[in-house]
Amino acid sequence: MATRDYLFFLCATAALFILSGCVAKDPLPQGKVYPSTSINVPFISPRQDLCGSTSIQMVAQYWQANSNYSPKLSLQELDQRTLLPLKGGTLQLELVSAARANGLIAYPLEPNFDALLSELAAHHPVIVLINRSYSWYPLWHYIPVNGYDITRKEFLTHFSDQPNEPIGIKTFAELWKRSEYWGIVLLPPGEIPASATSKKFLRSVYELEKVGMVEEAIRSYQSALIRWPEDSDIHFILGNSYYRVDRLSEAEESYRRFLLSHPTHPLALNNLALLLSKTGRKTEGLALLDNAASKDPEIQKILRDTREEIMKK
Amino acid sequence: MQISKLIVSSVLSVTLFAQVSWGQIASTELVLGSPSTVSSQAKVSQFVAREDVAKAFEEMGVDPKTVELKLASLSDDEVNTIASNIDTLPAGGDGGSIIGAIVFIFIVLLITDILGLTKVFNFTRSVR
Repeated sequence: MATRDYLFFLCATAALFILSGCVAKDPLPQGKVYPSTSINVPFISPRQDLCGSTSIQMVAQYWQANSNYSPKLSLQELDQRTLLPLKGGTLQLELVSAARANGLIAYPLEPNFDALLSELAAHHPVIVLINRSYSWYPLWHYIPVNGYDITRKEFLTHFSDQPNEPIGIKTFAELWKRSEYWGIVLLPPGEIPASATSKKFLRSVYELEKVGMVEEAIRSYQSALIRWPEDSDIHFILGNSYYRVDRLSEAEESYRRFLLSHPTHPLALNNLALLLSKTGRKTEGLALLDNAASKDPEIQKILRDTREEIMKK
Repeated sequence: MQISKLIVSSVLSVTLFAQVSWGQIASTELVLGSPSTVSSQAKVSQFVAREDVAKAFEEMGVDPKTVELKLASLSDDEVNTIASNIDTLPAGGDGGSIIGAIVFIFIVLLITDILGLTKVFNFTRSVR
């Protein structure tokens, strides 16, 4: 290699160090002040390649002590589900799916400090992905963030082998930026993230329902209804979940409440018609179907099939 | 290969079965804005994506039984994301900080050696 190339490399390296010194003055959101918090998340010593599993376990233990949540997986099962041996770590999506399998709702954090700080203020620990090094030599690491100190401008984290290790906000911002501010809020059924929007939360709960935890999902939909009473879709979603676990009278009530605000909603009419025929009210069910119309061919097909199914009974 | 096919088909049959047992109940997904009715073409590409991910997981040293567990708890969207980016997605580990630091120091000293600022290693020849 020519000397010129080395010089270029040297300049590039120097530039990198100089640039990396230019940290944003204050990465924190301006305007809103968040209180200092320290959440009592149990500490587990780090193990090679298993920070994903360990982070889930720490947060799960916190919720076990502070709600009626009980974990569905042992630490060993979590390890197995999260580790990709040759990658020496855990993919973000695997962290999410393993947490879900453990019976927790995994709510993707909005990628900013406002969301992080409002969760901490609500005593919800957040797991974030950081890169401890530069992008050209990435050292990806998951850490639970369990506190914030406004006077010392530090986050408290179970970063490595010391509990509640403080990390200055500027350093934290640098490390977190490299994962595009990725974070996840893990919550027990019934608990709602402080920074949540209704549809995004319902989707996270539905993911839990899809892996078979219907009763857990129902508890969260019920909380969602209290938090967002104006979102009538929740009645429909709740109706489906009740139906799924054979809580038919509650399902009926939910569908009827949804239909109060959407009287011609074809799918709700469809589901309620089926429910009625299942509980010995075939004629009433068929009458409901008469009111159900849709331009969507897929929905038309569903309605036709439902009518046939009810007629057969 | 045989094994991963078997696993995927059993995973797939589980998901299909779940759909059938729903009967005519129109699903929550419609309200949440995700596609409710999946075309057969989409189902085939889902199948392929699941198979790809299963293979990739096995290649990364996950035993077949765990591959099945992992796939079962991933949603279709998540499988698609992994299938198309598995090589570039970050995997958080414990960072191997000591080894990482050693490698880093090694590289820095190697560069300074080459630049003639140090003479740590016997095998380097300075450009000066």
